[in-house]
Amino acid sequence: MVLAAALALLLWAAVGLARPRPVEVSVLMPAPFADATAPLVAAFNRTHRDVQIAVTRGPLDTEALSDLAISSLLLGDTPYDLLLMDVTWTPKYAAAGWLEPLEPLLGDDAMEGMAVGAQLGNAFGGHLWRLPLLADMGLLYWRTDLMDAPPRSLQELAATAADLKARGEVSWGYVWQGRQYEGLSCVFLEVLRAFGGEWLQAGDRAALDSPAAIAAARWLGDLVRQGITPAAVANVSESESLQIFAAGEAAFMRNWPYAWRELQKPGSLVAGKVGVSSLGEGTQGSWGFSLLRGSPHPAEAAAVMQWFTGEAVGRELAERYGYTPVWNSLLQDAQLEARLPLLPVLRQALEHTALRPLTPVYAQLSDTLQRQLSALLTGGEDATEAMAQAQRQSSLILRSAGEAP
Amino acid sequence: MTTALQPLLLLLPALLLVAGVFLWPLLRYGWLSLQASSVLTGLVPVPNGGANWQRLLADGRFWQDAAQTLRFAGVSLALELLLGLALALLLHRPLPRRGLLRAAVLLPWALPTTVMALGWRWILNDPHGPLNRLIQGLGGNAYGFLSTPATTWLFTVLADVWKTTPFVALLLLAGLQAIPAELEEALVLEGAGPLQRLWRLTLPLLAPYLLLAALFRLAQALGVFDLIQVLTGGGPASSTESLGLYAYLNGMRFLDFGYSATVMLGMFVLVLLLTAAVLLLQHGWQGRRR
Amino acid sequence: MKRPPHLLLLLAALLWSLLPLLWQLITSLRTPEALVAPTPAAWLSGWTLANYRQVLLGDPPFWRYLLNSALVGAASTGLTLALAIPAAYGLQQQTLRLQRLLTLLLLAAAMFPYVLLFLALLELARLLGWGNQLLALAVPYAGLSLPLAVLLLRAALADLPPELEDAARLEGLNLWQRLRRVLLPLLAPAIASTAILVFLFSWNEYPIALTWISKAELLTLPTAMARIGGSSVYAVPYGAYAAATVLGSLPLLALVLLFQRQIVSGLTQGAVKG
Repeated sequence: MVLAAALALLLWAAVGLARPRPVEVSVLMPAPFADATAPLVAAFNRTHRDVQIAVTRGPLDTEALSDLAISSLLLGDTPYDLLLMDVTWTPKYAAAGWLEPLEPLLGDDAMEGMAVGAQLGNAFGGHLWRLPLLADMGLLYWRTDLMDAPPRSLQELAATAADLKARGEVSWGYVWQGRQYEGLSCVFLEVLRAFGGEWLQAGDRAALDSPAAIAAARWLGDLVRQGITPAAVANVSESESLQIFAAGEAAFMRNWPYAWRELQKPGSLVAGKVGVSSLGEGTQGSWGFSLLRGSPHPAEAAAVMQWFTGEAVGRELAERYGYTPVWNSLLQDAQLEARLPLLPVLRQALEHTALRPLTPVYAQLSDTLQRQLSALLTGGEDATEAMAQAQRQSSLILRSAGEAP
Repeated sequence: MTTALQPLLLLLPALLLVAGVFLWPLLRYGWLSLQASSVLTGLVPVPNGGANWQRLLADGRFWQDAAQTLRFAGVSLALELLLGLALALLLHRPLPRRGLLRAAVLLPWALPTTVMALGWRWILNDPHGPLNRLIQGLGGNAYGFLSTPATTWLFTVLADVWKTTPFVALLLLAGLQAIPAELEEALVLEGAGPLQRLWRLTLPLLAPYLLLAALFRLAQALGVFDLIQVLTGGGPASSTESLGLYAYLNGMRFLDFGYSATVMLGMFVLVLLLTAAVLLLQHGWQGRRR
Repeated sequence: MKRPPHLLLLLAALLWSLLPLLWQLITSLRTPEALVAPTPAAWLSGWTLANYRQVLLGDPPFWRYLLNSALVGAASTGLTLALAIPAAYGLQQQTLRLQRLLTLLLLAAAMFPYVLLFLALLELARLLGWGNQLLALAVPYAGLSLPLAVLLLRAALADLPPELEDAARLEGLNLWQRLRRVLLPLLAPAIASTAILVFLFSWNEYPIALTWISKAELLTLPTAMARIGGSSVYAVPYGAYAAATVLGSLPLLALVLLFQRQIVSGLTQGAVKG
């Protein structure tokens, strides 16, 4: 009797082992990334028997995606294993205890061979929480028909822009993102770093009333006051600035790498007349995968994450969509460079990127900074006063959220 | 069981549930507003010595949203009372197919807010929505109604007025039907015109109904959330954000429960103050009329 | 009295309330190409039922949301009435001073902008493990509807001649029998009004459903609509949105047509006696 039972058990186990049910790793991504990776995921699922990837096509709006993820995480059970996150979310999710540290699964050297600028923002509080799918950074776009070389400093940029506008070569000298939204924080951070300033000091103290921060804010305000930048910049985001620059109305533009492809398209009046260079330290923006705590099969999920962020997928996405790769091997790949002429610029820009503050309350800090900058740009508020306000409110936010005073 | 206790026992379960749903949250917020309970504390409450309230007083976004919410509530309330009164006067007359008419007028009120918020997004779409079609048909250019603060705000108000006017109209209709016809006839005999009759008879007798409708609508409009969240998401640049949405964002997006609770209490105080103001105003108005 | 302007105004009022809905209906029946066609000539062509097919065959299919909303609505209505009827009776028996106090408190609760409550209720849901439990929503919904329900039913009770119950008491009927045989039948119209208002509230409720439910197959209609709206990409599927709007409105259209009398008397009763 016991023997028969043992035999049956053995048989059942053998059958079970012989035909393992494939593990399904579910991934939540913003719709554009889900669409871009769809063919690759389909290929993965065809060639892998034991692991299958199920992608949920999340909302387009990145905040709506975060809301969706948070609402299930707050209730304590998430149906997803992997989440594709913006770089600024990582500390928030990690601090909330919703992420699984990656180094036990991927080893301590998971980011070896990755461009320095792309490595930033993935670790927080001594753990690795995220692997980037692609990198992004602020770049300076300039007109090759109006100048021989890009400016080497902000002062030179402002002077050249003012000169070209004064001579009537362009309607505007420099366009950037001045609407009250995240883009404005990115622009400010780049100027701040050029002036040698920091947003947060020692990771948890606001430093927005430093001389460098005031100088940076004043520099942006002066661009508008002196007419180098249109006053309408206060309502300009990426797409509007691209529109102005593509119409040949501006000498310089601050934008992300995606703009380069757009500027070569038929409707653009500046195709073939655009130079791109790094901004010194461009604000880093990137999307990356995190492993959600409570995933029933973390090992398989980590493997899927490594496949997604690996070189093969990175190459495909760079070739098909122009996504900036994160691996040095791809950034230096001659074959890829033939299809992606911007690659040397991206490689150089990724050597020094500016990271937005790595704090769980980043969204609130950025919001309060945007408000003050927007007041500065539209109402002509004094830079010293605006930055003093931003500093005071940032300190209040940090204190009320529980940062040690 | 004694008979004196019985009625209390019948009342108790309902009162307990009502207290649990309304009272408990307010008490909980009172406590939470004195704590740091955010991602920085691992979502565990830690006393922070009133820092939330200090922050509230200095928070530009809170005060901007408070002003926006007030403006939204004030303007939509005024429009709703005005249109609601007109609609009630219209429906008060003898009409054919009265039931069907009432149902047609009621429909916007009965629909979920989010359903029609999505509908408005299409109607206001740039450039394919019907409103822009109309403008283009008349020779104009398509306009991004939901991309400039002024027009976006205007349409949040309109969408709210569209949905809630029927509610106001029905309340007022009940008031109209309670006015004895003889009084009106007496005034007609005195030679009073329609406007005079409205001013001297209808409005004074309708006052309690107007007050009730105003109080109901004021509290609901100050708490506006669904409509704003789905129609505009608070944008552009948080120019249509309401306090309810800000409190929601602080909790669900920024994961700062301590501050979210503080914002809600701030909003609660605002609702109380305004309700008291309306009651005082009405008191003074009635006192003067007597 | 002049007739025509009056009727014209009425027509204007009807257009104002029905035109936006009508436009959704038309939009829902058009192909995506027809919707974005630039010329007036194309405005009359391109009719289709594909939008409805898309919405009804979605994952999860749209009727699922309607079913979820109906379930929650029914459960909330049942729970509310079960608590409100005895409570209204109990309230009626209290001393006059207590009655006035409780009525005032209930009125304040009925007006309360309840979006304020979501955070504490979310905490409760987490604590009790009620997140993603469809029927658990009936508890907060009942709590939120009770103030109005009790007020409405008490107003109706106050209208009944007190001799009726005294007579029943003299006949030796106990409390349960009096409620069941005498009061309930007389209260039936008020109960119907209350039920339909509570059902409408539960059907339409948004912030709490938004924070208590995250699983797609458990969403109620309002939350599902909001999520459909948030997931728009590239070519915006406005035809499908509109189809969802129409499908989401149909049950309410039916309810309003069937029960407009009860809805109106419920609303106005509250006004008169509240």
